[in-house]
Amino acid sequence: MLTSRLLVLLQITAFLVASTVGTAQAAIIGTAEHLTDQNRNVQLAQISATLANDTVQQHLLDMGVSPEDTLARINALSDAELQQLAQQLDTLPAGSGALGVLGALFLVLLVLELIGVTNVFSKL
Amino acid sequence: MIRTAALALTALLSACATITAQPPEEAASELTTVPFFPQEAYQCGPAALATLLVHSGVAITPEALVPQVYLPGRGGSLQVELLAATRRSGRIPFTLQGGPEALFRELEAGNPVLVLQNLGREWLPRWHYAVVIGYQPEGQRVLLRSGTERRRLERWNRFSASWAHADYWGLVIPRPGEIPASGHADNLARELAGQERLLEPALVAATWDAARERWPEDPNLLFAAANAHRVNADTEGAAQLYYTLLMQSPQHIPARNNFADLLLQAGCPVSAERLIAPARHATTVLSSPIADAVRQTAADIARQRAQVTYDPDYCRALTQDPTLP
Repeated sequence: MLTSRLLVLLQITAFLVASTVGTAQAAIIGTAEHLTDQNRNVQLAQISATLANDTVQQHLLDMGVSPEDTLARINALSDAELQQLAQQLDTLPAGSGALGVLGALFLVLLVLELIGVTNVFSKL
Repeated sequence: MIRTAALALTALLSACATITAQPPEEAASELTTVPFFPQEAYQCGPAALATLLVHSGVAITPEALVPQVYLPGRGGSLQVELLAATRRSGRIPFTLQGGPEALFRELEAGNPVLVLQNLGREWLPRWHYAVVIGYQPEGQRVLLRSGTERRRLERWNRFSASWAHADYWGLVIPRPGEIPASGHADNLARELAGQERLLEPALVAATWDAARERWPEDPNLLFAAANAHRVNADTEGAAQLYYTLLMQSPQHIPARNNFADLLLQAGCPVSAERLIAPARHATTVLSSPIADAVRQTAADIARQRAQVTYDPDYCRALTQDPTLP
């Protein structure tokens, strides 16, 4: 347990260092930067990258993802995707399968209704 | 029993769907080599993603993707996490641009498409990922790898309604160095530029090259390819691309700036200075990040000019400028 926590701490540090070092060489204009420059008016309101990172990390942990997986998953997200997750993680569609628990329940009610066993809906 | 009931429910729900797309007149297709992974409870995300990844040449299983995309707290997988996991497998995810029309272009080109469907209603959504592998014009049915069904036939009207309720979201994962068959240059450029820092430089450069082959006249793709080749430590390739772009549009200040910076780093300060001079005059009309970069490059050239040892032949080759002293 302690070792896994230490590992996470190490990974966070490594990630922070890596993400600050990468911003050197301001003399070169990146492709993304150039494309954004052409479309200034479509830029959406954004929260800071660090805040977005922290928010998503907390969300994923709260939703039962392990600390190690959380970091690896966040590191594979683009800036725009990180922003989207930070702002809408609770409401985005989560594809799960053809039949869920709620659906099964609704279905049983519906079938019972259709074959005339119950009268839940017709009296509404 | 549950299964029959499920079919009945889906039929009922689709019957009252508001979107009634015209069945398309498309040729019959079936991508029989697309693999199939039957989904475990709630895990259509990992199963559908593994289907596309294996088809693109990655050796992976749905089980290995579960810790990369499954969200226990939501009982499913999010779209952006499928994109992120694709990158972790060394492939580039492209979202489908253009709905049904684009879907058929991809099938024609042999690319299966992972789609998000809403099998419920807006007020009771049931999100599901499936992989479209073909179409049968007689009877207008879509062929899917879906859930536990290897070859599911779904009526076009029903399928397209459930897909429309998920905003026609689709995912294409081309083999390395290829791009989707559908979509426009602008969308592709924006999507690739937004994720290139997360990918292997060699793969990124090869993909921009593929885009450039399809749209040779597009200045953004030339610029992007040049930058990517430089990141991939291919100085000569990058120089050639910047040169081509500047011959085509001399007013492309970002290309002028980046080419000048490349030449300076390659030990050609004289060529760098010749290139940046016209851009410096334009700094007053440029937006500030671009103008800042140009000023920075000019300052770097002025500062380093005296310090670099200079190989005139190499610099003449890079700039294709025989008049260089």
